[in-house]
Amino acid sequence: MNNIILEKIALLFLRGMAIMSVFLLLRGHNSPGGGFIGAIVLAIGFIFYSMIFGSERIERILYFNTRIWMGIGLGLVLVAAVWPVFLGLDPLTGLWYTGNWPLLGEIHLGTPLIFDTGIFIGVAGLILSVIITIMEVLKWNT
Amino acid sequence: MILFALLLIPFTYLMLALLIKKAGIKKRLALVFSTLNLLWAMALIPIVQFKEIIVVQMGGWSAPFGISLVADRFSVLMLLVTAFIFFLTTVYATQSVDKARRKNGHFFFTFGILMGVNGSFMAGDLFNLYVWFEVMLMSSFILVSLGGERKQLEGSIKYLILNLISSLFFVAGIGLLYGKLGSLNLADLSQKMELARANLAVLNPALILIFVGFAIKGALFPFFFWLPASYHTPPPAVTALFAGLLTKVGIYSLIRFYTLFLYYDAGFWQQVVLWMGALSMVIGVVAASSQYDFRKILSFHIISQVGYVVIALGFFTEAALTAAIFFLVHNMLSKTNAFLVAGWVHREKGTLNLKVLGDMFKKSPVWGILFFISAFSLAGLPPLSGFFGKYLVLQSGIEAGYTGVALLALFVGLFTLFSMVKIWLEVFWKKQPEDSAMEWPVNQKPAHWMLFSSLALGAAIVAMGLWAAPIAEYCEAAAQDLLNPSKYIEYVLGPS
Repeated sequence: MNNIILEKIALLFLRGMAIMSVFLLLRGHNSPGGGFIGAIVLAIGFIFYSMIFGSERIERILYFNTRIWMGIGLGLVLVAAVWPVFLGLDPLTGLWYTGNWPLLGEIHLGTPLIFDTGIFIGVAGLILSVIITIMEVLKWNT
Repeated sequence: MILFALLLIPFTYLMLALLIKKAGIKKRLALVFSTLNLLWAMALIPIVQFKEIIVVQMGGWSAPFGISLVADRFSVLMLLVTAFIFFLTTVYATQSVDKARRKNGHFFFTFGILMGVNGSFMAGDLFNLYVWFEVMLMSSFILVSLGGERKQLEGSIKYLILNLISSLFFVAGIGLLYGKLGSLNLADLSQKMELARANLAVLNPALILIFVGFAIKGALFPFFFWLPASYHTPPPAVTALFAGLLTKVGIYSLIRFYTLFLYYDAGFWQQVVLWMGALSMVIGVVAASSQYDFRKILSFHIISQVGYVVIALGFFTEAALTAAIFFLVHNMLSKTNAFLVAGWVHREKGTLNLKVLGDMFKKSPVWGILFFISAFSLAGLPPLSGFFGKYLVLQSGIEAGYTGVALLALFVGLFTLFSMVKIWLEVFWKKQPEDSAMEWPVNQKPAHWMLFSSLALGAAIVAMGLWAAPIAEYCEAAAQDLLNPSKYIEYVLGPS
């Protein structure tokens, strides 16, 4: 039995949470937020979605295996940690870029964003891999 | 960067192991990365001889505010031994651990342990020490239960709960300490405590909580239950790694903690440490003599051997700290090797119950001799590393005026010898009881890499006995640094 209202709400909820999580990730450096919290918010959206549609649907949305996502996350953290070393600085030092772009105005970017994005992807991958495994063991919605 | 690389190497392996699916490639990468780690740790020895204390500030934030990685001679020695043991257990695991476990991330989680252990040896502040402990523990929880055998799960529940309790104590203590002193950097804390010398009783609740946390991790007397309950359940390669590294991190932290903070209030702490060490020594060895499982006997001996290090810490003279460091290194090597031999016996016979084993010396004299070396090094027989370790501990104890404790250590050595002879006779010498002779199919799989790692460790134990003098000299220099916390403070915080 398909409950169309529930399915639409779940999809809307996932999208809302995804946007919220990216917002939290981007404001993270100077205000409350950051990669970890963003990833948890994103995972909540996915969990709700998978409770209604089953775990295969998330796997299709994710495209890669969750392990690969975790690996990518760790890789980004690694890049952010090692990059400054090649410039003769201590590891994990923040490198910043500031510039004026047409349309966007002043842009202020740095390696902490790469680091946080790595955390974001890694943590989201970890939580989803746990959830997918549990759902497969319980044979939820299949 | 020189220190950071020791975190980077395991981290890179973790990343690659997630991205790569093939078990064969992961195995080869594990070998490559553990070799790299070993080479890097070896390169640190001349550097630390030259620089005395290596300090790296993460992100360029200066000491009390940022995260610092600090390695003095003691840490670097520990890092080197860790890298050596880790490399050999990795080589050993390629043949000893079954394919299903290897496929499901055996190497992944051992590298997690390596990262945690390396981090704890270099941590320059208390909270990071806690975080590295957690990294190490999370990986070890999974390694203990990986495979999901019934016995394993039973052991891992005990391991998990008691270690989580110790983390709770540790982090609660950190919280209280931070509330009182407003800093967690080890050097900064030590400096502040020196200024507050008169009112140190205020800090005692926090210090006791942290001390108990370390004591649980290091398996000291009233807190050791988790160790013998869990160490005999996972695959032997995992137990060897745990025996070599995990409790020793607790002891390392205890030594660091004592030399930086607790000695300000020595009147109280010295007694506590001495009693705990002496009781661990005696109770571990007595409990071991009643066991009939190869690995359980060795597990109880871990507790007893750790006691030696702790009493030496309790004597608190330069000679005693030299002895503690020397003994810690000797213990890491010998204990790991004893467990590696246990792993071979387990592979051949499928059991480690002393009553049904026998005749192993006839089966392979080389493994028999390897066990002989590590067991009698643990018992403290002359040309091996254990003899010099015990000799240094006893000598420093008598010199410091703790003759009673030193004599007790001598008696414990006798009991250790008894246990080791028991294993030797039951497993290697006696005739296998007839009713159990045909119970297990003969294992024909090759074991040459297992033999290689055990041989390398055996050679290291003998070498440590033969070249005891230069190693003890290095340990002495390390002990001098430990006894002089103002040097540590100066290197970390910069000259004041």
